Amino acid sequence: MKGFAKYYGKRLVWYLVTLVIAVFLNFMLPRLMPGDPISQLVSSAAAGVTDMNAYQKIVDQYTKEFGMDKPLIQQFFIYVGNLFKGNLGVSFAQYPKTVSTIIKESIGWTLALQIPAMIVGWILGNVLGAVAAYIRKGWDKAVLPFFLFISNTPAFGLALVFVTYLAVKAGWFPVGRGYGSQFAAPVASWEFVASVLKHYQLPFWTMVLISIGGQAIGMRSMSIYELNTDYVKYSRFLGIKDRKIVMYVFRNAMLPQITGLAMALGSSVGGNLVAESIYSYPGIGSQMLKAISARDYPTLSACTLMITIMVLIANVVVEFLYAVIDPRIKAAQQDG
Amino acid sequence: MGKAMLEVRNLRTKYVTRLGEDVYSVDGVSLKIEEGKSLGVAGESGCGKSTLALSMMGYYFPPLHYISGDIIIDGQNISGMDPDKVRTSVLGKEIAYIPQAAMNALNPTMKIIRFLEDVIHVHEPKATKAEIRERAEERFISVGLGKEVLDRHAVELSGGMKQRTVIAVSTILSPKVLIADEPSSALDVTSQKLVIKMMREMMEKGYIGSMMFITHELPLLYNVTDDIAVMYAGQFVEYGSAKEMVFDPLHPYSHGLMGSILVPEEGTRGMNLTAIPGTPPNLKRPPKGCRFAERCKYATVECSYVAPIEKKFGENETRMYRCLKDEPWLRKTYEEEQGGASNE
Amino acid sequence: MKQILRNIFHSPRFVVGFVIFCIVLLLSFYPMISIFTPMEIVGSGFHAPGTYVNIKSTIQSRSEELKYVGAAGLANQFTAEELGKMQEWLVKYGGVDQTVVDEAAENDNAFLELWTSTYSDDVQYKATQAYKREIQKYNKQILRITATDTLEIGEGDSTITVKSNQFVNVKNISNKVTLPLGTDNFGADVLTKLTSAIGVSLKMGVMAGAIATAIGLTIGLLAGFLGGWVDNILTFFTNLFTVIPSFVILVLIANSISQAGRSPAMVSLIIGITAWPWTARSVRSQVISLRNRDHVNLSKLSGHSTARIIIQDVLPYILSYVIMALILQIGSGILGEAQLSMLGLGPSTTTTATLGLMMNWANTFSAAQNGQWWAFVPVVLAITLISYSMNLMNTGLDQVFNPQLRD
Repeated sequence: MKGFAKYYGKRLVWYLVTLVIAVFLNFMLPRLMPGDPISQLVSSAAAGVTDMNAYQKIVDQYTKEFGMDKPLIQQFFIYVGNLFKGNLGVSFAQYPKTVSTIIKESIGWTLALQIPAMIVGWILGNVLGAVAAYIRKGWDKAVLPFFLFISNTPAFGLALVFVTYLAVKAGWFPVGRGYGSQFAAPVASWEFVASVLKHYQLPFWTMVLISIGGQAIGMRSMSIYELNTDYVKYSRFLGIKDRKIVMYVFRNAMLPQITGLAMALGSSVGGNLVAESIYSYPGIGSQMLKAISARDYPTLSACTLMITIMVLIANVVVEFLYAVIDPRIKAAQQDG
Repeated sequence: MGKAMLEVRNLRTKYVTRLGEDVYSVDGVSLKIEEGKSLGVAGESGCGKSTLALSMMGYYFPPLHYISGDIIIDGQNISGMDPDKVRTSVLGKEIAYIPQAAMNALNPTMKIIRFLEDVIHVHEPKATKAEIRERAEERFISVGLGKEVLDRHAVELSGGMKQRTVIAVSTILSPKVLIADEPSSALDVTSQKLVIKMMREMMEKGYIGSMMFITHELPLLYNVTDDIAVMYAGQFVEYGSAKEMVFDPLHPYSHGLMGSILVPEEGTRGMNLTAIPGTPPNLKRPPKGCRFAERCKYATVECSYVAPIEKKFGENETRMYRCLKDEPWLRKTYEEEQGGASNE
Repeated sequence: MKQILRNIFHSPRFVVGFVIFCIVLLLSFYPMISIFTPMEIVGSGFHAPGTYVNIKSTIQSRSEELKYVGAAGLANQFTAEELGKMQEWLVKYGGVDQTVVDEAAENDNAFLELWTSTYSDDVQYKATQAYKREIQKYNKQILRITATDTLEIGEGDSTITVKSNQFVNVKNISNKVTLPLGTDNFGADVLTKLTSAIGVSLKMGVMAGAIATAIGLTIGLLAGFLGGWVDNILTFFTNLFTVIPSFVILVLIANSISQAGRSPAMVSLIIGITAWPWTARSVRSQVISLRNRDHVNLSKLSGHSTARIIIQDVLPYILSYVIMALILQIGSGILGEAQLSMLGLGPSTTTTATLGLMMNWANTFSAAQNGQWWAFVPVVLAITLISYSMNLMNTGLDQVFNPQLRD
């Protein structure tokens, strides 16, 4: 038990260090580029801003709060200090809204969309992979390749296709947004919930469909490997029914797939966020796109930071969850 | 003479390779084990002894295929039985198996007790969890494993522990026949001794009706089993009581193996059956004559063309050898050699 | 080598992937034979796919008289609802059997005949004035289609009379244009633009993939072969960048470079330098398994330099692996470009399009919301096919080089 605790203590420290580096990169990368970011922003954004006074005010406030006139290293500490206070600055594009308000308004939508979509996609993918490994035939030759094909489509591409064919032409789903336009803002009513659920379907299934193929192919090879192990043969010779043995196999094949969940999260988060914006879904993805086109630097920076933190947390949760439910990992850590 | 627990008559099975070729790895084996008795089967690797173990379970799945022969357990012939019936009424209960690679034989993510529940439920679907636990605890304590093992996962056990757990799991239903395929060969000497001791105790306590013990380490058998059979190229070349086999081997192959063992001792290592030069024949196309002829130093031209049949003798015909030469000739030849050796 | 190639081309997955890839690659040569340049403005915004025939030159072309009556094209002149109303009238007030009407509705000319023989404005029937007026309006339109034998276009001397049995051979019309995939929001021919974009995106994908593989290979080789503190440091960074989503780093860097600085080459570079960690990781584990093989030890004992050992004794053994990684990286490089472009951080260019830019434009001009599928469905399909073919080739190679995966 002791080796186990020690190992995961170390892992936790590692993730903390990663977080610090991620924050540092988030701060540093834009500033490493030639030219002072603030003046660059002013010049590039000035053209589209009608009220120059208001804009100048935002820039001044930002310069002061984040110490843009001080040396870089000092700026970093101010940045981290502000981060702890939850102060992410004021949005350039949506003045006088603060960036933290924007994030607060949108992060829930993204989490509520992407986490269930990842999990459902993972489950369906694993079931498909297991079935393909056990039954073969049509599943292996037609269904799996079909989902592999879908999973090679960028999420935003599939989103565009779905909007045209399922929302506009067939009229089965609303075209976009997180809820009906009759609601000015989220309210606590059943009609609102119904509207949200209706608008949720298309983005949700887009992300689910995209993730099935990748998970299925991993599960398939894991299952084939497990089906050839000694415990399968031994269990057979003790008279245990095939149905039960298949359950053993799929359980053992599925557990390592949990790490596949974390990997998929990191690699698909980008495409999914862009897909969000195709559906004008009120999440981080749409905010990020808006921030990029409006050159709203503080909002963009906050969005990327939030995404990194979410992915990091997901990784930690998955790693620890896996260690708890798969006894093989625990035993391996105790040995080492 | 006790009642026969296991009787095998002229069993033939084959492997079908990926390329569709047939490999006749068990080619006409007959044997009989009486209640409370044990048989050791020795042979070098590739002689078909592991396939024999699998073939005797009466349950076949690719690449192993049944050709002909009978497997009779306690008077019941299981060789023609429906595979599903074999699984639900024979495997585990009538005949149990201990695999060669016990390291990976247990499902790594399952607690031992959960697996035992599944095993017992095949034959006794009504058994409650509490009953099963009670039975399992009693059995595990009596074989010296301790009941705490039940709540562990296989991955948390050491190699020796794992092997003994596999033995306890295989025999939880007190099978009439236990087939152990090299249960100790991968272990260190101490664990090996523990495993042998455990199996002997289980025989004594009546947890196992009879046993077939397969190994490539011949010295082990003298102390473990009552009878010994020597297998070569898919067939038994000789069998008899352990004492006879060690001190009076008849077949040139057995003689070659046994001759070098002076005092067989429990746990003597390094006496592998590879002391005879040459390699066993390819079982895709078995030789026409005696299968050992190519490596036999007494072989004559006849040996390469005429396949020897089983020759039985002794009280109740408990002794068998498969050689064209007769008993007196072989004895005389061995004596002369012995004498010649001591004269030098 | 010949044997390996033969094995590779015996893998069905690889062959399917390879064929798909070759087809896509062939498509990228289309701009060479296209009559348009990729960015040439042909139309005025979105036009649906089809052949566009100039009306003026149709009228001016040499015409021939055919006996063929042809389709009156009722569906083009009436809505389904209007046609339904007329059918309803025929049954309800015209006294025609429903089955007769249904049969006539199948064929425009039969329907016209039925209508003109049954209906006339003089027929008396009981209905609201509004209804009667509506039916009269339809009748007028029908009369225009049927009664007019000729159509006069123009005034005075330049009047041209077109007879209804006058046809023009499409071949004889000098002014026409076929737009197999229509035009995009700028009015450019989608097919030409798409095929040239496939070429650009493939080049960018190859460049990004090559950079990512080169970085990943170098880091993986050094970490795996040298071990010790070098390994510790490199592995730390590799793991770091596998956990921090590369998407974030990509956006941060791309956003910091001004619009003008984001040339296709620059964007490929950015994608390349954010995509290496997975390659580094797998190369490292491959190298570690090789490090203590006999032939490597022999080279070490012979006093060969580290560089020479890596090149002569390690690299050849992981070459197949590196090629597979490269293939995957090319596919994800193309996806990465599309992703960046969708965010508005794609390459800035006025002479060429990329697959991502085409999608971004279609999205910005709400092509999906307006049902203008031709502006993005072929683009999405192209990206998917490229990525899918890369994946198939990769798994095909994997099965050839790692036989235990064959089932």
